[in-house]
Amino acid sequence: MKIIVLLKRVPDSEAKILINKEGTGIREDGVKFVINTYDEYAIEEGLLMKEKVGGDSKVTVVCMGPDEATEAIRTALAMGADDAVHIADDSLSNPGPFTTATIMAKAIGDEEFDIIFCGKQAIDDDMAQVHCILAEMLDIPQVSVAIAFELSDDTTKATVSRRIEGGDEKIDTSLPVIVSCDKGLNDPRYASLPGIMKAKKKEIRKKSLADLGFSEIPGGGRSRILKWLPLPKGGECRMVEAEETPDAVRELVRLLREEAKVI
Amino acid sequence: MTADGIALLVILLGVLSAFAFVLRLLVRSLKLGKPEDRFDRWGERIWSVIVYVGAQARVLTQLAGLGHFIIFYGFVFISLGTFEHIGGMISPGFSYASIFGAKIAGMISWVQDVLGLLVLGAIIVSLFRRFVLKPLRLQIDDPKAKKEAVFILCLIFVLILLMFGMKGAGILMDPPKVDRAYAPVSAVVAGLIDGKADPHILERVFAWIHHVIIFYFLIFIPFSKHIHILGAVPNIFFRNLGPGGTLSRMDFEDESAEKFGNSEVRDFTWKQLLDLYACTECGRCQAVCPAYLTEKPLSPFRVIHMMRGHFVGDRQKLLEGGEEAEATPIIGKTVTEDEIWACTTCGACMQECPPFIEHVQKIVDMRRYLVMTESSFPHEMQPVFRNMEVNYNPWSMGFSTRADWAEGLDVPVAAEKQEFDVLFWVGCSGSFDTSGQSVARAMVEILKRAEVDFAILGVEEMCCGETARRMGNEYLAQTLIEANIENLNKYRFNRILTTCPHGFNTFSVEYPQFGYEKTVVHHSQFLLELAAAGKLAGTGNGSKGVYHDSCYLGRYNGIIDEPRELIKRSGAGELAEFGRRGKRSFCCGAGGGRMWMEETIGKRINEERVDEALALGVDTIYTACPFCMTMFEDGLKARDKEEEVKVKDIAEIF
Amino acid sequence: MTGDILVFGEIRNGELKKVARELVYGARTIAAGTGGSIDALIVGTGAETEAAKLASLGVRNIAVVDDEATANYSSEGYATVLADLVREGDYGYILLGATAMGRDLGARAVAKVDGVMFSDCVELGFEDGACIARRPVYSGKLYVEIAPTGGRPVFITIRPNNLPPAEETGDGGEVTARGAGIDLAAIRAIATEIAPLAGGRPDVTEADVIISGGRAMKDASNFKILEDLADLLGGAVGASRAAVDAGFAEQPLQVGQTGKVVNPKLYIACGISGAIQHLAGMRTSKVIVAINKDSNAPIFEKAHYGIVGNLFDVVPVLTEEIRKIL
Repeated sequence: MKIIVLLKRVPDSEAKILINKEGTGIREDGVKFVINTYDEYAIEEGLLMKEKVGGDSKVTVVCMGPDEATEAIRTALAMGADDAVHIADDSLSNPGPFTTATIMAKAIGDEEFDIIFCGKQAIDDDMAQVHCILAEMLDIPQVSVAIAFELSDDTTKATVSRRIEGGDEKIDTSLPVIVSCDKGLNDPRYASLPGIMKAKKKEIRKKSLADLGFSEIPGGGRSRILKWLPLPKGGECRMVEAEETPDAVRELVRLLREEAKVI
Repeated sequence: MTADGIALLVILLGVLSAFAFVLRLLVRSLKLGKPEDRFDRWGERIWSVIVYVGAQARVLTQLAGLGHFIIFYGFVFISLGTFEHIGGMISPGFSYASIFGAKIAGMISWVQDVLGLLVLGAIIVSLFRRFVLKPLRLQIDDPKAKKEAVFILCLIFVLILLMFGMKGAGILMDPPKVDRAYAPVSAVVAGLIDGKADPHILERVFAWIHHVIIFYFLIFIPFSKHIHILGAVPNIFFRNLGPGGTLSRMDFEDESAEKFGNSEVRDFTWKQLLDLYACTECGRCQAVCPAYLTEKPLSPFRVIHMMRGHFVGDRQKLLEGGEEAEATPIIGKTVTEDEIWACTTCGACMQECPPFIEHVQKIVDMRRYLVMTESSFPHEMQPVFRNMEVNYNPWSMGFSTRADWAEGLDVPVAAEKQEFDVLFWVGCSGSFDTSGQSVARAMVEILKRAEVDFAILGVEEMCCGETARRMGNEYLAQTLIEANIENLNKYRFNRILTTCPHGFNTFSVEYPQFGYEKTVVHHSQFLLELAAAGKLAGTGNGSKGVYHDSCYLGRYNGIIDEPRELIKRSGAGELAEFGRRGKRSFCCGAGGGRMWMEETIGKRINEERVDEALALGVDTIYTACPFCMTMFEDGLKARDKEEEVKVKDIAEIF
Repeated sequence: MTGDILVFGEIRNGELKKVARELVYGARTIAAGTGGSIDALIVGTGAETEAAKLASLGVRNIAVVDDEATANYSSEGYATVLADLVREGDYGYILLGATAMGRDLGARAVAKVDGVMFSDCVELGFEDGACIARRPVYSGKLYVEIAPTGGRPVFITIRPNNLPPAEETGDGGEVTARGAGIDLAAIRAIATEIAPLAGGRPDVTEADVIISGGRAMKDASNFKILEDLADLLGGAVGASRAAVDAGFAEQPLQVGQTGKVVNPKLYIACGISGAIQHLAGMRTSKVIVAINKDSNAPIFEKAHYGIVGNLFDVVPVLTEEIRKIL
């Protein structure tokens, strides 16, 4: 079984994210970049499937990102992925979902695969689109936000559960398929030290846009960011006070509904 | 030479060669272990043997140790007598009297008699302890171990009786072989057997039985717990003379290595294997082990006992099979993962151990294997490792927020100051934990008031690596240590000041393994300096308090009086003392990474300690360690006493 | 391409989701700018009857698709239906709810028509001839305002409960039934069933709302008041380590350093003081509400909203007040 895992390097979820001076993006100083959280579930699921099917099964990581993304790729290799394709091109900065999907479709088109696993979304732009666009481009089915993945014994089909509002939706899919993974799908493993050592020697095939046959950035020019805005609310806790408890509670409910918009 | 002299000589030669063979096996088995340099400081090593073997200094820290002392010296003197007697049987005419004169020989005889009597008493007391008193430290869930201990005690008892029989008969012999004047106990025995049988025959019969038992003993020793007679002396000679709180530095140079840490006999060093031969099974370790005392599966006694059994069972195979031989894994059946993770690395076991066995390193070595080779550890440890890797602290706090606690306090940062006297190492707790932050703020206030020329590393500071190291993640620990050293080397300062004993210990005794040597002071020492210089004034706190010694401060580093002195100077009220204190303090339960692990088996260690404090009727518990502080706070909450009893760091009382 | 807007009305369990009305509200904002009309598409079992809910909101045409091929959800099938209609109507804007279905279907459909999509938007505006969407990025640590650069259909998914529901205008839209135009046999991934959440409550790691209790809950039976609130909001019940230790709650509910790390939209901490052990597990929740009788409790430093009071007074009232508005 050939498994592909899509990987993105993103700021650590604990990083302080601040807008840069020019107002054109975020400040990268003081930000630690790591593997996108949800991609870890994708790597783990890929490895689990490889272990389950056995034989000449293989997990290939495909990552698009700057040279520094090598560190994230090595982490995936240390966990147990077999090899990697790293699409790095200086001209690529903050590509949109269509650009990413087009380039990845080309890169993946050169590989054999039965399943593609990826994170349900990248925690930087939070678009959650690439896997769907990629599925359409590769003409394969997709399942988003998987929390359970069960491969049929003959490895031609899978049953996937995905969390929807108020329940779990079960999807039957044929292979090949692309599955975006959510927390709860599995417990990503901690890379062993021999794994880390071995990862240093595993092959990372680096590709530029030209290598993939693109003369310019594909799929771009669809949108532009007009403004970067910090969070409207300050860090202070808003203490809701009133003479009588019920009044305070009523005010809290109003704030939660109208200001925080969470109920 | 008489006929039985010849027979004895033949048997003796046989026994001695068998014993030599066994000794060779033991030495060869130790060579299965990895190298470790314990061949330095000969003077101190010899002195150790004098103090801890000769004077039995550690054995005698408990009253029961007196029994051992008596049996030990009883055995020495009786062996002298055995030697003399066997010599006499093989070569008639051989006797101490003929060599040293009657006086000295008589004194030896007298001492034998008196000690023999005392040994009998000691054995009766020992059996009484085992069967009636059943002290906690002698409990082990291996029936074989107990049987063996009783068997050996009985054997010694019989040997002593036989000796008295021999000597008693010797007194009655014509001419007397033993001088009645120098054998008060044997004289009594002589009176009892007088006229019952021919003393010459009686003497021979007793002697033969006695010597056969001794021979049996000689062969039996290496396969019983009494192997400690052979193992303990060299183990004390080769003991760790360095600081106790140091773990070995691992080498990660070999990138093709498939295995890190210890999982089988050959992964341990020869000294660690010698430890196994040295265990006396006295169980003092388990009687002080916080894990054992709170019903965890871990007992340091059991770990060593089981590992020795494992070693003995595996050594022949490994010696014969050479490098190819497949060893039996230790982790699993011999020592379980639950045991390995239950250890707080508090070191109480090592503090007590008469033959200086080093338990903690072994447990950490097995953790190293589980973490780095198998990735098998309690699930709650994974986020801790990840957080340390990414954000350099055990909690999931962004590294760039590390100095947020100092906002508005105008705390000098090393990067701006470059050169200063004291580097205040805030630590992870001081940086992120609410209680720790208030300690950090209190320290800053004190430092400013006392006009100390100091700075913090700020966001450049990372976890010191102590926890990762004790959790078995040496690779991560070294990554953090090396990164910290690189940052520390950027600035010029004289001392590192920590409020955390774990950081204090690791900077003091572990960073030097990585080439970084700097004077380190714990804030209990530093504040005392300030107080002595009149730069600190106490405000008075609480009416009755108690100070809890942190393991890594008191036991490992001997800082015991300073915090107490400081508390007194702060104008605090009455200072009670725990029964378990100083070097014998009881762990709060947080060491060895336990701070970040769930404690689901048995009683919580911190609650055990809090109960001890509550029994003292105090209103303040003073700590000098952020981990201890958290554990006490949690324990007090669990007992619903957080209102009545306050936990205060020694920096918070000025 | 026209300035017309297509609203996708999602059917779950035979019912039109509430967010559809909010989408119509958003569509009006865009329509005010483009001068286009608002149409709707409803796909799934019961689409025709549910269409009435949109008919009085000034929606021009409501296309309903309810046949065998759309009885169960499939990204491929639903996206084909949507893309076909988008091409047919030459829509400039397509609005969907940022739900499990909307996010999955929208991204597949936008690929089919080679458009552009903005996900999880919370606010819409219209300036200089184009719609401007505000959406959170970096897990909600920042927002961006994003606009299409023109020439392609713009798909926008909007988070439920962010826009007000469109008010009735009385204008009746025309409901037209359409065939799905897809071959069920050609669909490779399809939903077979929806299993209601086991135990009726989501896992703490997956819940959007978590009501957590600490040691101040005093007893396991008191967790009932938290469960009532959680059930009302479709959320999970969590607990601090102290509460689990005291035996008030089961270990799987434990939130914190040694328990689960959660990231819900709403976290209500009841009687939890906020030790770092707990904060490490829930700090990144979008909105944190703290209810604690100790006004100095560290939890208030991390909370967005706080009430100082006895949780046994506050929580039942909170449940009642929320019940009133839902």
